[in-house]
Amino acid sequence: MKSVRAFETYHPLTLFAFFACALVICMFTLHPVLLAVCYLSGVGFYGMLAGRRKLAASLARSIPLTVLIAAVNPLFVHRGETPLFFLNDNAVTLEAILYGAAAAVMLMSVFYWFKCYNEVMTSDKFIYLFGRVLPKLSLILSMALRFVSRFKRQYREIDDAQRAMGMYASKSLTDRLRSAFRVFSALITWSLENSIETADSMRARGYGLRGRTSYNNFFWRRRDGFMLAFIVLTAGAVIALLSAGRAGFGYYPTVTPIGFSVYDLLCYGALTVLLFMTVLLEMKEAVRWRYSLSKI
Amino acid sequence: MAILSIQNLSFTYNGANRKALSGVNLEVEKGQFVVVCGESGCGKSTLLRLVKKQLAPKGKREGSILYNAQLEGAGNREQGTGIGCHSEQSEEGPSFHCALTDVEDMDERVAVTDIGFVMQNPDNQIVTDKVWHELAFGLEALGEKPDVIRKRIAEICGFFGITDWYHKNTSELSGGQKQLLNLAAVMLMQPNILILDEPSGQLDPVAATEFIATLLKINRELGLTILLVEHRLEDVFPLADKVVLMNKAEILLCGSPREVGLKLKETDPQHKMRLGLPAAVRLFNLLGAAGECPLTVKEGRDFLERTYMPEHTEISEERPDGKNRAAALEIQDGFFRYARNAPDILKGLSLKVYENETLCVLGGNGAGKTTMLKILSGVKRVHQGAVRVWGKKIKDYTGGSLYRENVALLPQNPQSVFVKDKLIDDLREATALMSLKREAGDAEIRALCDGLGIGSLLESHPYDLSGGEQQKAALVKMLLLRPRILLLDEPTKGIDAYSKTVLSDILKRLKAEGKTIVIVTHDVEFAAQNADRCAMFFDGRIVSEDAPAAFFAGNTFYTTAAYRISRGFYKNAVTVEAVAELCGRNPKKL
Repeated sequence: MKSVRAFETYHPLTLFAFFACALVICMFTLHPVLLAVCYLSGVGFYGMLAGRRKLAASLARSIPLTVLIAAVNPLFVHRGETPLFFLNDNAVTLEAILYGAAAAVMLMSVFYWFKCYNEVMTSDKFIYLFGRVLPKLSLILSMALRFVSRFKRQYREIDDAQRAMGMYASKSLTDRLRSAFRVFSALITWSLENSIETADSMRARGYGLRGRTSYNNFFWRRRDGFMLAFIVLTAGAVIALLSAGRAGFGYYPTVTPIGFSVYDLLCYGALTVLLFMTVLLEMKEAVRWRYSLSKI
Repeated sequence: MAILSIQNLSFTYNGANRKALSGVNLEVEKGQFVVVCGESGCGKSTLLRLVKKQLAPKGKREGSILYNAQLEGAGNREQGTGIGCHSEQSEEGPSFHCALTDVEDMDERVAVTDIGFVMQNPDNQIVTDKVWHELAFGLEALGEKPDVIRKRIAEICGFFGITDWYHKNTSELSGGQKQLLNLAAVMLMQPNILILDEPSGQLDPVAATEFIATLLKINRELGLTILLVEHRLEDVFPLADKVVLMNKAEILLCGSPREVGLKLKETDPQHKMRLGLPAAVRLFNLLGAAGECPLTVKEGRDFLERTYMPEHTEISEERPDGKNRAAALEIQDGFFRYARNAPDILKGLSLKVYENETLCVLGGNGAGKTTMLKILSGVKRVHQGAVRVWGKKIKDYTGGSLYRENVALLPQNPQSVFVKDKLIDDLREATALMSLKREAGDAEIRALCDGLGIGSLLESHPYDLSGGEQQKAALVKMLLLRPRILLLDEPTKGIDAYSKTVLSDILKRLKAEGKTIVIVTHDVEFAAQNADRCAMFFDGRIVSEDAPAAFFAGNTFYTTAAYRISRGFYKNAVTVEAVAELCGRNPKKL
């Protein structure tokens, strides 16, 4: 069963603005505090969306990968002033290790935020957004998606039929390739043949008349305005502060200390509010739902 | 006055020398439910397509197709400028009142909205990936505002019960739902005439009956004029206000269902369409009875009760018992699922098929019948249980030996069998697989194709053949592998009644040659005629099996129309022929 979700009910434009900001900030920061915020919020939000079990399965795979990526950097990069030990006459430095870890965490937070994006920004939302810019595009994308699912299904059907006749039953690679090629060429004919009827159906329903409009299922509500303002404000603050050189951090030649000036704190705070807002929203929804259920 | 009036219409396709339509005259009154029937290639699809401007085929047209827009309250819609006035054709009203237009001269927009068209293949008509987008497609094209579209969609979803799957992907829908979606998408544009070209041809009987019921609802509740081409006449025939029977590019008969049922016998008792008529009509014709022709099962029962004394009530069945023969196929407690986390599709399926018998497996949609054939043909493997072919485990057949002179599967969609651009090349593939020399192979191909009456089609592209021809061609490809066991998946889907009897004859011949045949089907009439044994598939396994007469006589709902007519009078007559035979033996009431 799909759990109740709060954030995805916002307007696609709001959602897209949020993910664009979140992903850009995640990609361009290596500051330990900001990284921690990005990573934890990304993992947390994904957990809220996908459920505990899926999150655990995903972490079990992603944490070893994080360690691996982190370990690669000090093996090849020997910059930094604090050698810990020598490997094949090359210094393995503390700075390189920390930088590798930071890069790995950055990659992972981007990865988790993309997973959240996939859960929330379904194809129809994406199509709707870009259909407004290019009206024909939304129809083409929608048709393409339909075509791909039909194509896949028909491939399986033809492949099964061919195998049930014992065509290319051997397991050798050349036979398998030839068989795939045969099926594929049949598929091309099949799709051309069937698209004639699809074109008929489109014409019969008036495709090609002048003045086409675009229908959608999305509504812009007042809360979308508030949410968008909130996103622009917080994300704007973070990006402005970062580009003004605040909350800076360097790994080479030595690791710089983490800053705690007012501006630095403001930057940490704004990012935390921006990213954890999603997690809080989902939590609030879950609690509210449980509460209202207990009343029923 | 007619809403659609076809006058002396003839049509020749570009490049063809034979007329596809010749001298067709037809008046369709407002609100009528008109059923057009005829064997494949008689020109009925051409006729329907000519009425829809956007789909009209290219060719030479004579005569006129006049559409009367004024009859419907077209005032609430802006009328296109194209609605011209053919004053010479409108005899009734003064010229300012007339709105008779030849379909060819109709305004594009009006032609799109006023005449709705639904085609046969549910999948090919769907354009977009989401149900809601598909519904909106036509209104988007017409340039309606999103608010208007939303209102109309809301209305239509309520009427058709689409609300539950409004947000789904179109690929997730069942065939019946897809066709309902196509119908709804057309109805959204508020047509005045709805044209349907074999809309239930690709649906299973349950979905087809539901679809027809929806059509009837549209006709009765909205007063919409409907023009329908159908093969399966059992449901539609009694409902029609007018039946048009076409034959070789001409209209043979036209009138109320009762008239047509009666007249067909007089004009041409051997006409191929006779086979497609409802069981009650066929029975009436077979008996050569006089009086009013019964149309429905209920009327058929009344007719039997009224006419015949119940002296002989049982028909003897001489179907050989195959149980002492060797088992050709056997599944023991088979379990199967498509993915590790998916539910079991087959749940302890046990089935034995004996040598040289014809077994029909019946059952509802999604019960796992097709999956069972995949298991029997070795395309999929059970995760528990044993599958044996001729007593040998199926996995012990290696290197294609299962498919050479052994098992062949004819899939539901015969198109998936062909991979070449010419039928002959496709068939040569099969002979090559049997390691035949070119000449020997070609000789065998020719012999088989001539036997099935498709010898002249060898140079055609497989996709250019008609549904029935495609199926025969696919069957030839199977037979070239000289199978001893034939598995057929829904062989009667989408083919007309006459093609069904042809298929029936082919199957009988194959059986006489000693082949073992397993047919998975929804078609109870076909099973009753062809099976030695019928089995009912439900919830992942076989729940009952018996000889057809006993099998169908034991069922109340899932049985043939002939048995539903004769139940209570006769004990085990499950085909129209059997009922007619029993009737013939009984003396008539006075």
